Amino acid sequence: MIPLDVLGNAIVMTVVITVSSFLIGAILGVPLVLLRTSRFGVVRVLTRALIDVLRGVPPVVWIFILYFGVSSDVIKLDPLTAAIGGLGVISCAYLAEIYRGGLLSVHAGQTEAAQALGFGQVGIFTRIVAPQAFRVCLPSAATYGIGLLKDSSLASTIGVAEIAFRATAQARSGGDGITPFVIAGVLYIALSMPLAYLSRTLDTKLRMKVSV
Amino acid sequence: MNGLIEQWIDWLPSLVDGLGVSVQLAVVSLLIGLPLGLAEALLVASPNRIVRWITLAVVEFGRGTPTLVLLYLIYYGLPSQGLVLPAFGSAVVALSFMTGAYTSEIIRASLQAVPRGLVEAAAALGINRWGTFRFILFPEGIRIAIPALMGFAIQLFQTTSLVFLITLPELLSRAYSIGSTTFQYTSVLALAGVLYLLVTLPSGWLAALLEKRMGRHLA
Amino acid sequence: MISVANLKKSYGDHTVLDGVSIEIQRGEVVAMIGPSGAGKSTLLRCLNLLERPDSGRITIGDTVVDLPAKIPVRTLETLRKTAGMVFQSFNLFPHLSVLRNVSLAQEYVLGRDAKAAHQRSMELLERVGLADKAGSYPARLSGGQQQRIAIARALAMEPEVMLFDEPTSALDPELGLDVLAVMRELAASGMTMVVVTHEIHFAQDVSDRVVMMADGGIIEQGDPAQVLSSPANPRTQRFLKAVIDR
Repeated sequence: MIPLDVLGNAIVMTVVITVSSFLIGAILGVPLVLLRTSRFGVVRVLTRALIDVLRGVPPVVWIFILYFGVSSDVIKLDPLTAAIGGLGVISCAYLAEIYRGGLLSVHAGQTEAAQALGFGQVGIFTRIVAPQAFRVCLPSAATYGIGLLKDSSLASTIGVAEIAFRATAQARSGGDGITPFVIAGVLYIALSMPLAYLSRTLDTKLRMKVSV
Repeated sequence: MNGLIEQWIDWLPSLVDGLGVSVQLAVVSLLIGLPLGLAEALLVASPNRIVRWITLAVVEFGRGTPTLVLLYLIYYGLPSQGLVLPAFGSAVVALSFMTGAYTSEIIRASLQAVPRGLVEAAAALGINRWGTFRFILFPEGIRIAIPALMGFAIQLFQTTSLVFLITLPELLSRAYSIGSTTFQYTSVLALAGVLYLLVTLPSGWLAALLEKRMGRHLA
Repeated sequence: MISVANLKKSYGDHTVLDGVSIEIQRGEVVAMIGPSGAGKSTLLRCLNLLERPDSGRITIGDTVVDLPAKIPVRTLETLRKTAGMVFQSFNLFPHLSVLRNVSLAQEYVLGRDAKAAHQRSMELLERVGLADKAGSYPARLSGGQQQRIAIARALAMEPEVMLFDEPTSALDPELGLDVLAVMRELAASGMTMVVVTHEIHFAQDVSDRVVMMADGGIIEQGDPAQVLSSPANPRTQRFLKAVIDR
């Protein structure tokens, strides 16, 4: 069996990759969605193209480009940084689209009502539109987070010692090709449960506050 | 710049062959996985509790486990049970299993999204349960499911990039091996990325178009 | 033709039908009126068992259903063949053409061959004035047209009774007129009809009897002229005043 501390470290590594890349995506997604919904057609089209390209290439290819490509040509990236960077860049595209869906779901009447009450542009966005959009985004963002947790296993391909990496090592050395991977699978499912739970409870709480 | 184009032209035949393997893998996995997904969607709604729970466990495992882990489980796991599959076979088993799990959820949600009134109308006409499924629920549900299923198919195609791990010569594994001999990783991986985009972008546009048209039809 | 005895239905603590009994003769047209929540639609939906009553007895034609006993599938199918139903929201099958909507159940339930079903469908579409729409899809048609097709679809099963659940409530007043015209013609042809409606004029002109429901029971019924112009029950008086003042 794998020693418990090794297993613990592997779990921590999986969580670190998932959380870091999600945060990168959540933060970079904001400017991206603003550009995506810009008043200027050219900006909108270019942003959309960028998002489509980021989402249209498999995540493992981005990780490889960062790790084997950019890293060898320009600067040296360690595997963990390359994995987080690759997944983070993809998440900002996905999350920007999720934000956009949330913004679109807020009824135009809300903006008009706020304008009629004398709110300014910024006030309308921060006080009226964003809180309602946030509620709508939450379940999709959580679902995306769970997807990202699973994609974090891709880091094993460039040697980051997270859950999938440990399971593979164990299977190769131990000769049992089933147990390590079943345990790994169960661990991923267990890790995704708090996220699913969080999304559900936050969703109900916010729904009570902002019923759409 | 000229050098880059020449390189790309050199590599293209090998990569296009690899793309062919990726597409084949995605298509075969869909052909097996979609009927599996329909079966799982129906079994999850079975009146028998044990059937329901077992199916649910299978679906949850398929959706909750990274595909990379599934792939290893099949590739390393089955031989230890005395069942040796070729790499392509292992990949198809893993990807079909994952397709079944994901599409069963899409199909289940779509069947539930068919308006109750249509089912009642069928009942009021004296159409029995099987007839209602065959003539009303299934065609209506599939129509609702199509945009999401297309979205999934695009994801599945991207996921085929993982099978380089079990040495199947698809697009990414060809790019990687060219990279490891020429050390032109950025260049060859970028070309691979472009080839992936050549499939995913038009499919994405088609999916969006279909979704819009369906929306109009259903209104 | 229809006999309902002591029908009861409740959802949890809420009683929707509180022991309703009613007899309806062959060829009779009964209009059911009353405030929303009175139980009119539930009673109608119990008649062809889209809702399952808790207790009581329903007889339609030769088919008898005694509750709360288990209902054999055969009985259910016969009952639904005997009673055609038209819904408030039409419920046409959106993936099928108008013609297919009308002919599907003829082929699948009645076992008619495709040619006979096609011919009967065209006759009925002619009757509701929409033969030219046979090849169209429901989404392309107005609500009034969809509802007339829904009537044709129900008639195609050669029912002995037609049940209408607020057939014009989802329609603009103008579009509703065509639907009401088809229903008038149907009533004149001798069809037994039970119509849940808010159309007081229709009740007055076409029905043989008006049934007023409130709080899960029938509180007044009789000749349309009498019930609608000089109701005895104060609850009916209030309801009619509200409808007319609107």
